[in-house]
Amino acid sequence: MKLSEEARDVLETSMRQNKVSEKDRNEIENLIVTLPDDRVLLYKNVVSNPIGDLERYSIHIRLQHMLTFVTFLTLAFTGLPILFFNAFWAEPFNSFLGGIEITRIIHRTIAVIMIFTMIYHILTITLGTLVRKKVGKFDIRRTMIPLKKDVYDFRDDILYFAGMRDQRPVMDKFMYKQKIHYFAAAFGNTVMIVSGSSFLFPEIWASILPEAYAAYFQELMRLSHPHEALLALLVIAFWHWYNVHLAPGRFPMQWTFLSGKITREHQIEEHFLEYLRNLVEVPEERQLLRDMLESREFVVESEALLNDLLATDEEGGR
Amino acid sequence: MFALFILALIPLRSAYAVFDDDEACLLCHKYPRMTRVTEEGAIRSYYVMPEVYANTVHRNVPCRDCHTYIKELPHKPVKEGVRCDTECHSIKNPATGKPFSHEVIYNAYRDSVHGRDKNVEGIESDKPYCVTCHTNPIYDPNEAGPPEHVIGRCVLCHENEKFVVQWYKHTSRRIREVKRSPAEIVQLCASCHDDKKLVKRHMDQAEKEGRELGRKFPIAVKSYNESFHGKLTNYGYQDAANCLDCHAESDNYYKSVHEIRPSRDPLSPVHLNNKVETCRQCHRLADTNYAQLDPHPTALPGDGEFRHMAEFIYHIISVITIIGLVGLSMIETYGRRRDGVAFRLKQGTSWRRKSKRGRDRVI
Repeated sequence: MKLSEEARDVLETSMRQNKVSEKDRNEIENLIVTLPDDRVLLYKNVVSNPIGDLERYSIHIRLQHMLTFVTFLTLAFTGLPILFFNAFWAEPFNSFLGGIEITRIIHRTIAVIMIFTMIYHILTITLGTLVRKKVGKFDIRRTMIPLKKDVYDFRDDILYFAGMRDQRPVMDKFMYKQKIHYFAAAFGNTVMIVSGSSFLFPEIWASILPEAYAAYFQELMRLSHPHEALLALLVIAFWHWYNVHLAPGRFPMQWTFLSGKITREHQIEEHFLEYLRNLVEVPEERQLLRDMLESREFVVESEALLNDLLATDEEGGR
Repeated sequence: MFALFILALIPLRSAYAVFDDDEACLLCHKYPRMTRVTEEGAIRSYYVMPEVYANTVHRNVPCRDCHTYIKELPHKPVKEGVRCDTECHSIKNPATGKPFSHEVIYNAYRDSVHGRDKNVEGIESDKPYCVTCHTNPIYDPNEAGPPEHVIGRCVLCHENEKFVVQWYKHTSRRIREVKRSPAEIVQLCASCHDDKKLVKRHMDQAEKEGRELGRKFPIAVKSYNESFHGKLTNYGYQDAANCLDCHAESDNYYKSVHEIRPSRDPLSPVHLNNKVETCRQCHRLADTNYAQLDPHPTALPGDGEFRHMAEFIYHIISVITIIGLVGLSMIETYGRRRDGVAFRLKQGTSWRRKSKRGRDRVI
C-alpha cells in the first residue's frame, strides 16, 4: 500500500515519538508495503473480535461515558414530565418515578453528578494532554480538536456512501461524526448547567447580570433548558444509538464503551491513521496482521506488487 | 330482627345533629322534588336536607337570618337572594356582643377588582359573588375531636360537653388553616380566568370603555400553568407560588384574598413598586433585576416577543439538526449495505453480504 502524504506524516510522527528502532521501522515499512492498495479489501478480510481488538478508551473515559449515560437518561426521564406537563402520560409517569416531591430531588442530585462527570472529564483530558506533551507523544490530530481535514473527510465519506468515490477517507482516531457529537454534547452540557443553575438560583443570576439583560437571560434559559434537552435526546435516539447499535456493521452493539477496545476491521475502516499508530505502538499487531494477510488470497497480489516495486526500484537504481 | 335493625341505625342517626326548624321552612323544603324549571330550562332545586344542613358551619343560623326577605308562609317568589353582609340576629359576635356579620370581609370584597352587588346583570354578573368561592362547608364527621382530658377540664366550668366539642372544633380548624390547596386555588381562579368567552367579553368591554387591562389578563392561566410555579403546583407540590401567593398580601392573607387589585393599582402586591417585596416572600435574595423576570412567561407574539423569536430559531435549528442527522444515517446505511455489511449478530466480522461494488470478503 502506498500511503498518502498525511498517512505517511502520521506514521513518521508516531515512529519518531515512540523512538522506534531501525529494525522495527523496517518491519513496519515492509508490512505496509504488503498491504493491499484497496483498503476495502483489507478491512473486509481482517479477523476481528466483536468485543474489541485494539485499545481505544481508558478506564476514565469509559467511566465518564457510563456516568453520562446514566445521568443523561435519568435527567431526561425526570425532566420530560415537567416539560410535557399536559401530555396524558406525564402525570402517571411522574407518579411512577415517585411524584414531584421525589423527582425534583432526583433531578437535582443527578444534575450534580452530571456536573461532576464533566469536571472529571475536563481534568482527564487536560492532565492526559499535559502528560503526553511531557513525554513527547502529543499529536493534535489524535485529539477531538476539529481540523480542516474533518470537513474534507465529511465530504469524501458522503461521496463514498453515494457511490461516487472508491474509498472511504483515511480518518484519524476521532472522525468528523465523533467530533460533531462530542462538541454537541459539550455545548449541550454547558447550556444545561447554566440554564439549570438559573432555575435553581434565579436571584443570583439576576443580581450579577446587567439590569437590561437579566429578564432576557432568564427567558432564554427557560427556553434553552427544555429545547436543548429535547434536542439532545433526539440526537441520542436518532444518531448516537444508530451509530453504536443500529448502523450496519455495528449491530447489535459496539462493546467499546465497556471493553475500551475497538475491533480491527472498524479501526482500519474508519480510523486508519490510528491503526498506523497501532502498528507502531503494538508490535504484536504487526505479527497478527502479517499472519492474517498471508491467509488471504489478495496477499499474493500484494506480494506480486511488492516484487514489481522492488524491481522498479532496482531498475531506477541502475 | 327488626329491633336489631332499628338499634343498628341509632348510632348512625346520632352522628348527625338535628336541625331545629323553628321557622317551619321544612314544611315544604323537606321534599326532594321541591324544584322548578328556570326560563333557561335549568332545574333549580330548593330541597334542604336537614341532617346535612345540621352539620354545616351555618347550622346554628336560622333560615330567615339570611333569607330576610321571607315575611310570610307560603312565601312569594324570591327575587333578592341572600346577601352575605346581612346581620345574623340569632348569632352574637362573642368579641363585641353585636349580631354576627360578614360585613367587614364583604366590604373588602366589594372594593376589590372582583367586587359586585348581589343582583346584577350583564357583564358584571361574570364577577364572582361570595358563593362562587365559598360553599356552606360540611364538618367532617371523622374530624378529630378534643382529647378526653381536654373535655374533662373544660366542662368543669363550661358544663356543656356538646358546646366544648363544637368550640374546640371551631377554633382548632382555624388554627390548622383549612384553606384550599395550591392546586385548588389555581383551579378556582381558572374557573373564570381560563373561560375564554368570559375573558373576551371583558376584553371587549374594557376596550369599549377605554379601560386598560393587564397585559397578562387574557393568558393569565395558560401562562401560569406553563411556568415552573404552575407546573409544580399542578403536580401537587405545596410550596410553589399559586395565584394568591402573589396577587394577595401574605401579611393579611385572609382579608387580602378578598380584595384582589389589578396590577396597575399601587396597593396591589404585583404593582411595579411592590414586586420586589412580593418576590422576597419566597426568593429572599430577590432584587429589582429579579422582579423584572416574567412570572407568566409565554412565547406568544405580542406578549413574549424575544422568547417568540428565540423559540422560532430554536425550532429551525432543531429541525435542521434532526433532518441532517437522520439523512446522514440513512445515506450511511445505504452506502454500507451496498458495500456488503450484514445486519446480523457479529461472528467476527460484519462483511458477510455480497458487495455491489465488487469487493467481497475472501472467506
